[in-house]
Amino acid sequence: MSKNYEIAVLGGGPGGYVAAIRAAQLGFKTVVIEKDNMGGICLNWGCIPTKSLLKNAEMYDNILNHSKDFGITVEGVSFDFTKIIRRSRNVSTKITRGVDYLIKKNKIERIKGFGKLKSKTEIEIFDDEGKSIDSITADNIILATGARSKTVPAIPVDRENIITSTEAMILKEQPKEMIIIGAGAIGVEFAYLYNVLGTKVTIIEMLDRLVPVEDKEVSDVLEKSFKKRGMEIYTGTTVDKAEVKDGKVHVTITKDGETKELIADKVLNAIGVTGNIEGIGLEELGIETFKNHIVADRRTYRTNVKNIFAIGDVIGPPWLAHVASAEGITCVEKIKGLETVNVDYSSIPGCTYCQPQIASIGMTEEKAIEEGYELKVGKFPFSASGKAAASGEREGFVKLLFDAKYGELLGAHIIGSEATELIAEVGLAKSMEATFESIIKTVHAHPTLSESIMEAAADAYDEAIHI
Amino acid sequence: MKVDVIMPKMGESINEGTLIKWHKKKGDSVEKDEILFEISTDKVDTEIPSPEDGVLVDIKVFENETVEVDSVVAVIETEADGAVVEEASAEPPEEEPSTTQVGGELIDIPMPKMGESVMEGTIIKWHKQVGDKVERDEILYEISTDKVDTEVPSPVEGTLAEIIVKENETVEVDTIVAKVSTSGGLVKPKEKVDTKAEEKTEPEVKETKPEPAPQQTQSKSAKPNSNKFYSPLVMNIANKENVSFDELENINGTGVQGRVTKKDILNYISDRKEGKTAQPVKESTQQESRESKPAPKLEAGEGTKIIPMDNIRKRIMHHMKNSRDTSVHVSAMIEVDMSRIYNFVKANKSKFAGEGVKLTYMPFISYACIRALKEFPLMNASIDGENIVVKNYINLGIAVAVEPNGLIVPNIKNADEKNIRGLAKSIAELGQKSKNKGLVPDDIVDGTFSITNYGVFGTEFGTPIINQPEVAILGIGTIIKKPVVVEIDGADSIAIKPMMYLSLSHDHRLVDGMLGGQYLKYMKETLENFDTSIV
Repeated sequence: MSKNYEIAVLGGGPGGYVAAIRAAQLGFKTVVIEKDNMGGICLNWGCIPTKSLLKNAEMYDNILNHSKDFGITVEGVSFDFTKIIRRSRNVSTKITRGVDYLIKKNKIERIKGFGKLKSKTEIEIFDDEGKSIDSITADNIILATGARSKTVPAIPVDRENIITSTEAMILKEQPKEMIIIGAGAIGVEFAYLYNVLGTKVTIIEMLDRLVPVEDKEVSDVLEKSFKKRGMEIYTGTTVDKAEVKDGKVHVTITKDGETKELIADKVLNAIGVTGNIEGIGLEELGIETFKNHIVADRRTYRTNVKNIFAIGDVIGPPWLAHVASAEGITCVEKIKGLETVNVDYSSIPGCTYCQPQIASIGMTEEKAIEEGYELKVGKFPFSASGKAAASGEREGFVKLLFDAKYGELLGAHIIGSEATELIAEVGLAKSMEATFESIIKTVHAHPTLSESIMEAAADAYDEAIHI
Repeated sequence: MKVDVIMPKMGESINEGTLIKWHKKKGDSVEKDEILFEISTDKVDTEIPSPEDGVLVDIKVFENETVEVDSVVAVIETEADGAVVEEASAEPPEEEPSTTQVGGELIDIPMPKMGESVMEGTIIKWHKQVGDKVERDEILYEISTDKVDTEVPSPVEGTLAEIIVKENETVEVDTIVAKVSTSGGLVKPKEKVDTKAEEKTEPEVKETKPEPAPQQTQSKSAKPNSNKFYSPLVMNIANKENVSFDELENINGTGVQGRVTKKDILNYISDRKEGKTAQPVKESTQQESRESKPAPKLEAGEGTKIIPMDNIRKRIMHHMKNSRDTSVHVSAMIEVDMSRIYNFVKANKSKFAGEGVKLTYMPFISYACIRALKEFPLMNASIDGENIVVKNYINLGIAVAVEPNGLIVPNIKNADEKNIRGLAKSIAELGQKSKNKGLVPDDIVDGTFSITNYGVFGTEFGTPIINQPEVAILGIGTIIKKPVVVEIDGADSIAIKPMMYLSLSHDHRLVDGMLGGQYLKYMKETLENFDTSIV
């Protein structure tokens, strides 16, 4: 007799484990099924280990390139690549253990194995060899199987020379040259990391600029900064093919009709992610999918099959851990029947942890104009910030977009030091529907980088003091 | 000439109406202002008069059909010989005749301020048409606000020169609704030819505002007492889109803790524009959840009939529920020997009637009530957050039942300055005004304490609901002769006495049993020992 649960969560990433914990808090008898360590890509192969690597890069960058600006002489600086990688793995392991503890603490059943839907209420669990090891039933099933790197035939990933982000964070030795295909968050973070460590980095982006989802002015600053660091950047460029010859990857690219071949030790495929929808029984149950993602209602997270829900990366963009968590919580609360608030997809912060850091929320200026808003745009450069000057971090700016009609904060775009921490204030302001007055009448501590947000808001209404 | 009869606009938020009954058939002749049909909207039901004399030649909307405002409902042929009943639709309606000013002064008639919290009013009926002579103080039009309906007199004598706000339109206070020409020097355009010469002598158009009541002005953005939080953005949108605070309070919020979000208010505004509904139905956040039970849907059928509430009923419902949700109601009762007053009234009724004063028990009870309020001022108070607002004036509310199913509580302003006669007069007056729709919002607002006399229906005692924001209400039972034990010279004996129960519902947040009891005891003593010589 298989065990019955009120909620079964398939996948233990930031969507799944958070959903499971919330379910347990609300008194549901809960099980979470995960084939790997708890924490999913985020904790094991994404957010956390990469941030650890990026911190190494940042420290080394500061010591190597900026210590003399501060009058500090450092000689004989070097690093041990394997130790950098090991530190990152240790951080990851520690954090995932923390999740194991939380699962236990909340009395959630944890089944290790690969879960597959057997019926609308049944999940069969398989081990690594594909042998059936267990089976459970559940009143409600939440699919949180996440996503993985997307691959295309032109770039045949072999995980040796042509790699994905997973391999890129556990390389045995530092590559001499690396071509990064795709200049989204993952691409530019690895670009910064390996560039700082001394790898010759080339970035290829199909769209016309780096970080194409961000505001154009942000892309411009980043491109300038990366070029200054010596990276080679090809935007508006397509990759025709990538081939491995004698341990080197030959990449054929086309820009403006001209074809060129680039050669590197490693090619990082960072063109995007795709949902993990295979082998979990979707077809058998007729669960609707679209472009490699499960179709789920973005308010209730219901799929087209009753009592089967889906959250996180597997239901499609924006592929962010914090979105998956928010969806998991909302989904469970709705199953419980609590009056809860829908996830506001217009107020999702997005962060990129290269240097300069990038953080944004809401619409870009281009998008807002396209939507027909009349805008009040406020911008404050960190070069005018006392704190930024004191810290030697004068690169970047804060840009805020307000709707001229009602004063709504439509979007915020920050590039520069600590951008990813600064965005939180704007996120709160946006979700509380603050207007520019609310921001400028909030006393900001001096000297801080956050003053720049206040100044940018003031600038939108021509009331900025320091520019 | 064919005239289209359109579905009238019944208020800002109403964009459609259901035709519930035709009073005329196709081919019937109708007179101007004769009732043509009845409509029902989600706010009110009303009868629609014919705009012209003529023959009803076409009916385009049938009973129980719902159509948008401004839809053509019927066609009237105004010229008898043209009155051929036909199916084809009429030509577009002609512009409403306006007039040309040829002398005298034009006086603007603004929508009157109807009280502190009333920001807008709906013109429900014009008593005069353009070109009609109007006397000073003669009723010009009727308005409806969310507090009361009332008739508005003309501030000057003259001729109604222009109607700017048509029936069933809702406009803000101070909006000019009409112009009255003081010297009658205006003509309708048909006669324009004759007056072209005169037209050149254009008169000075002078704007005089007729006696706006010296009320506190309150801007739309003013935020009355509310426990709800509105984000700066929502407040901005409300200001820009003229969403009143009352409307805002009625929008169902879908944000954190039911907060009204930008989306909610924008949806509301777009619904208001489209006339879908004044109050968007809250999107269920717990669709098919295991804990939500579907509400049984009422359907008219065997043994049941569904009657949509009229406006007054809805208001009463809202007020009563609001009061229950606000105050902690407790009720206490005391029995009063009314012998003295009973005998006095009996002996003097006809005498007072001769003076035009209807002598009832109410003035006496009111008088005793006012004395008791003076003695216990906390009873004459209201609660504002965690503050007690004690009022040093007494505006005594008197609940009046209005046939067929209305209830209204106008109050006697500064009732403590009135004697028994004065109170008797005021009570009679308010009763009359209530029944004749003569109340103005100022009669309703600012009450400090209320009395409800359910004794008139024979009820002995009740537990009335407090009239917010007051903290207590006194219920008056009927007077019944009862055998009571009295002590005469130390010996108990049974006497027959006219006895009455007073019941006091008080808000336990402020008024505890002790104060309520003291108040009732004071009233009892005052009534039982009433010094009738003061009358």
